[in-house]
Amino acid sequence: MKIKKIKDMKFIQKSKLFVGLISGFLVLGISCTDLEEDLQTELTEQINTEGTSPSSESGGNGGNGAGGAILAGPYSQLREGSANHGGYWSVQSVSTDEMAITQKGGDWYDGGIWIDVHKHTQGPTNGPVNDAWGQLYGGVNECNDKLSGTLSANEEAQIRTLRAFFFMRLVDMYGRVKIITTPGGNAPQSTRLEVYQFVESELLDVLGIAAVSPTMDLSGSDLTTGDDKYRINQFAALGVLAKLYLNAEVYSGTAMYQEAHDAADYIINNGGYTLVDASYEKNNLGARPGVDSDPEMLTGYATIFAPNNQNNPEIIWSIEFDAVTAGNMNYSQMTLHYSSQFSWNLQSQPWNGYVALEEFYNSYEDGDARKEINFIVGEQFDSGGNTIVDYSDSADPVLNYTPAVNELEPNAQRDGGTRLGKFSFEQFGKDNMNNDFPLVRLGEMYLIRAEGLARVSGDWSMAMADVNMLRTRAGVSAITSVTADTFLAERGREMFMETTRRSDLIRFGKWDDAWWEKAGGVGAHAELMPIPQEQIDASSGSLSQNPGY
Amino acid sequence: MKIILLRSLLLLGAFLCFGYVQAQQEITGTVSDNSGPLPGASVIEIGTTNGTQTDFDGNFTLSVAEGAQLKISYIGYLDTTLEASDSPISITLQEDAQALEEVVVVGYGSQNKKEITSAVVQLDAEEFNKGVVNSPAQLLQGKVAGLTIANRGGDPNGQSQIRLRGLSTTGANAEPLVVVDGIIGASLNNIDPNDIENINVLKDGSAAAIYGSRASSGVILVTTKKGRGDTTSFEYNGQASVSTISKSVDVMSTQEFIDAGGVNLGADNDWLDLVTQTGANYVNNFSVSGSTGSTNYRVSGNLRSTEGILRNSGFDQFNTRANINTKILDDRLSIGFNASYTNRKSEFGLTDGLRYGVLYNPTAPIYGVDSPFAFNSAQFGGYFEALGLFDSFNPVSIVEQNKNYGKRIEFLAGLNVKFAITDNLSVTGLYSKQNNTKRENQYYPTTSHYRGNATSTTKGRADFINEDFESDLFEIYGTYNPSISDKLTMGLTGGYSWQEQNEKRSTFAFADFPDASRDWSDNIFSSGAFQLGGVDRIGGGSYTRPDDRIIAFFSRVNMTWDNAIFFNASIRHEGSTRFGPDNKWGTFPAIGLGADLNKYLELKNVNLLKVRFGYGVTGALPFENGYSQEIFSFANVPPGSSETGWQTLGSGNRAPNPDLKWEEKHEINFGIEFGTDRLSAVLDIYNRDIEDFITDIAVETSVHPSGLMIGNAGRLNTKGIELTLNYDLIKNEKLTYNTGIVFSTYKSVLEENALGSATFRGNLGAPGQNDTNVVLVQEGEEIGQIIGAEWTGEVDANGSQTFVDIDGDGTIETEQTVEAYNEGDLTVLGKGIPDFELGWTNRVSIGNWDINAFFRGQFGHSLVNNYRVFFEPQVGSQTGYNFVNTELADSRIKTAKFSSHYVEKADFFRLDNLSVSYSFNLGEKTAKYIKGLSMNIAGQNLFTLTSYTGNDPEASLADIGSTDNGGRPARIDNPDPLVPGIDRRSNYFASRTFSVGLVAKF
Repeated sequence: MKIKKIKDMKFIQKSKLFVGLISGFLVLGISCTDLEEDLQTELTEQINTEGTSPSSESGGNGGNGAGGAILAGPYSQLREGSANHGGYWSVQSVSTDEMAITQKGGDWYDGGIWIDVHKHTQGPTNGPVNDAWGQLYGGVNECNDKLSGTLSANEEAQIRTLRAFFFMRLVDMYGRVKIITTPGGNAPQSTRLEVYQFVESELLDVLGIAAVSPTMDLSGSDLTTGDDKYRINQFAALGVLAKLYLNAEVYSGTAMYQEAHDAADYIINNGGYTLVDASYEKNNLGARPGVDSDPEMLTGYATIFAPNNQNNPEIIWSIEFDAVTAGNMNYSQMTLHYSSQFSWNLQSQPWNGYVALEEFYNSYEDGDARKEINFIVGEQFDSGGNTIVDYSDSADPVLNYTPAVNELEPNAQRDGGTRLGKFSFEQFGKDNMNNDFPLVRLGEMYLIRAEGLARVSGDWSMAMADVNMLRTRAGVSAITSVTADTFLAERGREMFMETTRRSDLIRFGKWDDAWWEKAGGVGAHAELMPIPQEQIDASSGSLSQNPGY
Repeated sequence: MKIILLRSLLLLGAFLCFGYVQAQQEITGTVSDNSGPLPGASVIEIGTTNGTQTDFDGNFTLSVAEGAQLKISYIGYLDTTLEASDSPISITLQEDAQALEEVVVVGYGSQNKKEITSAVVQLDAEEFNKGVVNSPAQLLQGKVAGLTIANRGGDPNGQSQIRLRGLSTTGANAEPLVVVDGIIGASLNNIDPNDIENINVLKDGSAAAIYGSRASSGVILVTTKKGRGDTTSFEYNGQASVSTISKSVDVMSTQEFIDAGGVNLGADNDWLDLVTQTGANYVNNFSVSGSTGSTNYRVSGNLRSTEGILRNSGFDQFNTRANINTKILDDRLSIGFNASYTNRKSEFGLTDGLRYGVLYNPTAPIYGVDSPFAFNSAQFGGYFEALGLFDSFNPVSIVEQNKNYGKRIEFLAGLNVKFAITDNLSVTGLYSKQNNTKRENQYYPTTSHYRGNATSTTKGRADFINEDFESDLFEIYGTYNPSISDKLTMGLTGGYSWQEQNEKRSTFAFADFPDASRDWSDNIFSSGAFQLGGVDRIGGGSYTRPDDRIIAFFSRVNMTWDNAIFFNASIRHEGSTRFGPDNKWGTFPAIGLGADLNKYLELKNVNLLKVRFGYGVTGALPFENGYSQEIFSFANVPPGSSETGWQTLGSGNRAPNPDLKWEEKHEINFGIEFGTDRLSAVLDIYNRDIEDFITDIAVETSVHPSGLMIGNAGRLNTKGIELTLNYDLIKNEKLTYNTGIVFSTYKSVLEENALGSATFRGNLGAPGQNDTNVVLVQEGEEIGQIIGAEWTGEVDANGSQTFVDIDGDGTIETEQTVEAYNEGDLTVLGKGIPDFELGWTNRVSIGNWDINAFFRGQFGHSLVNNYRVFFEPQVGSQTGYNFVNTELADSRIKTAKFSSHYVEKADFFRLDNLSVSYSFNLGEKTAKYIKGLSMNIAGQNLFTLTSYTGNDPEASLADIGSTDNGGRPARIDNPDPLVPGIDRRSNYFASRTFSVGLVAKF
């Protein structure tokens, strides 16, 4: 026992020597324990480019009320999902009787998500519904971020309006969302009414008024009256408010049709915008050299949506799209058949997805200029005037878009269904189109004024005057009687592809009706989209699902 | 004194006389063990001090007295005594299972195999896979229980996926840590397989914990060959081989296609045949090794030239390695230097040539002039293209017009200095530097429909990718082996490790070339050739990884009691720049206990019965830097927009996470080792819990627009069993036959899902199967379950499959959603991970012949056959593509819908490797010049028993994602480990290889 102890002692002494030696290394090492992480590629602080950017404040081509590059970030968020495949625009449009994405055999089944959206059977895990949520909150976040910095009064008013606009889309689609107003901040889930009230109060506040009335005075607003289509002026903000009030009864339970009317009326009377008619011309950038019937010029309604539609006098506020600098509009890809690439010499092969519903197409009378413009129909020719052939269809190789489609799924004809042509394509077009997307335009203000007046008075014939202005512009005869149904149809014809159809069908009580292969009677719950399951999962219990899902 | 001197003189005299009287004879011989020549064995004339050691090839020459007795011994082998009779003699030593003094490399040193208390497997060169093996990982395929080397397909430039004991992380960092000659993180690509002496795999946490925060996926220790023997020897090892496509995807013949309603374009082509080739491969290895005094050296040069089975794919590689070791200061100071250099020129080829080679219309002509209708051939370089068809490109045009090539240069140098302060205390310092550069180029001419934009306005495309990687490692550690008592021995190790890595990457892409007259990627900057016009014609990006450091302190203690009870413990305290400010440092302890029970039980005929138990904690690092910091995205909008100028967006592509810490794995391993004279068996049972995965955590998009944060969440449990058996069936001088089985099985359950509630992943993609996710990721469920509807075997009037009403509610809900799984009619159709894996080695040696046959199998897994899902149904609108036509094809099905019909059992049993080698008996004269000569033939992937109809039944462990229309697979660089079981159309095809080789030693 004793011996062992001595051995242990020796061992301990030797160990001490060893430990000391190792400690020596450690001491040596401790000066080398620097683990500071210094990122080089990633931007770890915001670069303030104000004052150095050519378009800052009054510079560039921003014009009056444009704001500098500091506004560019928030406005650029509008391009996420507003005119491309997969998110806000797709859900908002495919869910209506305007259009569908048919399953063409092996093509476009995509797990049934688009059939679900069209038939209103989408569940909380539906990808596009989640993507739309992310796109809208992406906008909210960018606004919050900029609002937390230093801004001019006008910039702040613009960004608050923009944020209210994103929240209006959220309250319209999902109803019960979180009103988040600080960057990275969180908030409890609000009721649909609360979100509506937030949007309303923000818009009234930036307009410097307590309420919309025929006699309101906007002189207290930090927004200008300058006409930059890509920035928000007083009329744009008022236009957003008009759209909100039009649907106020759906959102809040309280009708605000008088205010909707008053706001639209104010814009029509004071904005200086004009309904473009046949006298307004723009070059037809899609004209094929080898097809004589292609007009040299576009006029009227067509010019509002054409690739060269910037500064169109009818547009009050639009999203800037540009093939090089501001991408994300790609209707040409989304709707055209693969072979239609050769009609416009497109940079990329299209995807053959979206088609208009036959019934919707047929709701236009022949001779309606909007029918010609909004749809691509019939036999197709390449830019040299030759018939386009679909080599994969040996039975009927000629590419011919027919209004009728045999079925929604699973084997829809590859060239069945008219295609979405309203935002017209240009020759040698790139994947990203140049057409700006109008968010507020005078034509819709006429429709809001008309509907507001009709609903307040309980008499749809009160809408006739404004409706006929639009019909005349489209080259069709004036109508002599109006009902709720005919008004809705007229609104549909005018506003095709502009993402108002879903709200319109809900407001007119038609959302749960049957059309084509979509069955009626899905249920009232479908008037709201489900809160995306991914968001509920990530929310630690602070988000709950909408009823019925 | 005088007496002593006298006695000595007498003795000397007697000795001399004896030596003089007795006739001397020169004995030559070869010492080997069951697997080959044994270098360094000692040969002693019994009763004298006369002796020698065998050289590198096991040969010895010794002058002895006539009739002398020779004792041959070697550590770990039973001593053999024999009479020195006719020369040459051949001795085969038998392993001494009882001693088992085999030394095994572990982290920072080595240990006697017997004393190891964790699951460590050492594989020596002779046990490696034979034939043409271009990457070190492939040497191990099927040889180590629990180690899966997935090398789907035969892409000569493909990287093997290495998985140890299944999934160790849900993040991307699932590959084992590689340590080459002590250098942590050395590149496996910089080693020629021929230069490897042995490979050790530290399988469990208790072994790997000494490597800390990077060791969760296991550690692979590679030891390269060193100089040995006291003469200079030169060795040549050459191989020539041919590779052919082992199995293709069955499609319709031209006539069948036309009969099935396919679009008839008039020609008759076997597209796959047109894009594939018989690959010719050459390997030449040279090495010089030897030693002089206390210095030994080995220098090797390795040349490899490989062609893939796809036309224009392959590589040429030159590798060289030098190992020099010397001892000075009375052998107290050892200095080792090693350097290796690899230069590989690759033709990656266009793998899509295979994909479209399967699917392209068999009646389509190769060239546009043969088109049945008016066709502008010039626009497409003379080739025909089926325009107007999505995801369809002329395969011959793909492989002939486009280029996809690159170059990789890797350099590594290491210096290792060990100073023995006393006999049992030493200090070792290690410094190494690694520098790898990689360049990749792609060129698509203006006339290529595939990625060349031939139909567009901005035609052609050139891509440039440059990568530069540097790594510096400095380590110092001491070892101390105090002598305590006869019964207790002890070893202590402790040290410090510092490693820094830097990386730079840049990419450039240019488009819009004037014409197809030349390769414009060589002329991007030539003035006047063309102007770089529109902004969208140039793309580029760059990335710089900052000084990325890992710093660690480590120590280990080993104790052995009575040469039968073993105790090991280690701890590593390690920090990384990649973690959040408060979580930079982690501690990784391990402990192990083992006992040689047979020492006490003394069972008859049993040489070894060892039980061992180990527990260890290891970690995993984040995949990238910077996750803890807030970052911003930014853009500079070019002139022409109203938003021109710099924009900083408020949020980067993920939310910051200052709390980010290492992933933690706790692993318990219990092992039994058993050995008799003929049988050896090792059984390991383990349980590993991995928690705090470094993974994508969903953040509400309302809070951070990216919807994403990299954080720690989730828990995965894996339980597994591994069994290794080796048995000498026949063991005599003329014939030995050894057979071995390696068996492993495991099951991984996701106990806590970081990704929230159930999700489906593994999107099949376009055409038409976007948002068709087929693999379930759900808390409490096993990893890798394939989910879908079950086909009844019947079709409806539309030609659609009808499905089983799983929930019996009268309605059929078969959308690929979690809802339909929970409440509808989706069910589990298979699993992506095998139930068990098996390797079966057979080694026969008859006289000069050596035969190796290695079989390998995976059982219980399924694969989603992507060629079939999309292209087997005879969909009316898909008559422009060829139809896949396997034996499972059902012509009644006219619509494409994922179902049980396309999920196939992929169990397989394969003759992976068969080699036969013959060693020539060299005549006496020849032997002076040539020390050894052997020839061998080998075949790889010779036959496969499987019911899988696809190209390769090998389990797919991670998913590269979908692609269409000539795009790149979504996750090609970052495969999703949560999605096993999908056989993508973008996979390279498996190949079969036959080789002839020659080994000569001089």
